Amino acid sequence: MRHLKPLNQKADRVVTAVETDKMDEVRAMQTVVVGCTSTLDPGWEVDPFGGVAALCQPMEADLYGCSDPCWWPAQVPDTINSYRDWNADADNAGKDWRSLGTVFPSDSET
Amino acid sequence: MRNLIAAASAALALSLTALPAVAKDLIVTAAKPDRLYVIDAKARTIETDCKLDFNLIPGVIVVSPDNKIAYILGNRWEDVFGIDLSTCEMVFSAHQSEGDIRRKTIASLAVSKDGKEVYTVRNPVRLLADRYEVLEPEIAVYETSAGLGAKPARTFPSPRRMTVMATGRDGMLYAAGHEIYAIDPKTGEISIKIKNATWDRPTYSPPDVLAFWPIGTQADEFMLLYSAAKFTDESMSEIADFVWGYQSVDLTTGESEIADFASLEVIMFSAVRDPNDKSKLYGVYTQLSKHDVEKKELIKRVDLPHTYYCVNISSDGKEIYVGGTNDDIGVYDAETLERIGEILLPSGGDMAAGTMQVISTGS
Repeated sequence: MRHLKPLNQKADRVVTAVETDKMDEVRAMQTVVVGCTSTLDPGWEVDPFGGVAALCQPMEADLYGCSDPCWWPAQVPDTINSYRDWNADADNAGKDWRSLGTVFPSDSET
Repeated sequence: MRNLIAAASAALALSLTALPAVAKDLIVTAAKPDRLYVIDAKARTIETDCKLDFNLIPGVIVVSPDNKIAYILGNRWEDVFGIDLSTCEMVFSAHQSEGDIRRKTIASLAVSKDGKEVYTVRNPVRLLADRYEVLEPEIAVYETSAGLGAKPARTFPSPRRMTVMATGRDGMLYAAGHEIYAIDPKTGEISIKIKNATWDRPTYSPPDVLAFWPIGTQADEFMLLYSAAKFTDESMSEIADFVWGYQSVDLTTGESEIADFASLEVIMFSAVRDPNDKSKLYGVYTQLSKHDVEKKELIKRVDLPHTYYCVNISSDGKEIYVGGTNDDIGVYDAETLERIGEILLPSGGDMAAGTMQVISTGS
């Protein structure tokens, strides 16, 4: 762990677990969704086989099914909590994706 | 003669009205931006189009045992709404968040077999100025008779990481988390029904279970797929195979089973079994696969026009429906897996992660 630095509280607790020999209590989560702050799925880059053929086809079929449960909070705005109306005018991801924009925290949120 | 015809007509009319409602399967699903659809499955036509006045995310749906009310998890995982399927009227609602406590339900929605209670698992956080304080999750029991603005009649502590649930005729609530739990909703007593994270399989990795669609009512079971790595021995140094398995709780008998049935060759997001032949399992993702889980054989697999999340089956086991993701439901022949029909949802909005239930009406 000498070259790794924890970036958030959860990672910090993993470091503590290593130091106190409690790694048995750490359970690596793969694809279980339990909310926006605890999911870290690599997203559209790679499928479980290490390739791309088993990703959802096409990506637009997958977009809302994955953003609705906050599956990829790093790649897609959090429509559960922070950017609730990000896709309000784009009901069909395959046809309306051009109207989906990038989001930025407002001054009041920074 | 005229009287005879009139009498005959009256008799015919009487016999028609005396006939029971024609048995048919209805698909119940939701699509963006605000629609709940009841679809005649065989006719491929929209029977009821309900405009809803709440946000559909995530659109998890369970239907009351009498098939009259669809309970929908909406408003971005926070609230439950009961919609009368014949009138589109909202007959039940439960707003789970209040004050500075936000309560999200991650697909954990079920209705009791007598239709009197609705269950959720609520994951509360307290909204503080600089962070969320994570609170203990709880099982909430709502009485459906409470109508709009229902508050829980009872709450009990719950394990974390709970997703889909189903109810048995024995009154038990079955829920998927790190294990498949059996919960007594009267007392809150929890036991492990099927071991997952703690399963006793020394040559397997822990199972990975995607539990998001509360389907399985056609076959009267709470059934989930799992995938796992299988090693050559207990040292777990060499992988022998990646496997698919299924685990199921019979909702009438309460009996459970868990077994591998295939190598992991393609992804499957959801699966159902044939209500008339439990050896036949249909799983969906970018392919539709038909497995024989007793012989552990892949019977057939076909590519789909695009990925679908949710699969369901007609009551006679002859048609397979694939939905979720986009705005179309594909209909497949269960025997040949040939695409024999398609239903386009009028709103043109995505079903996304919403549930596609099939209910059987009439007799």
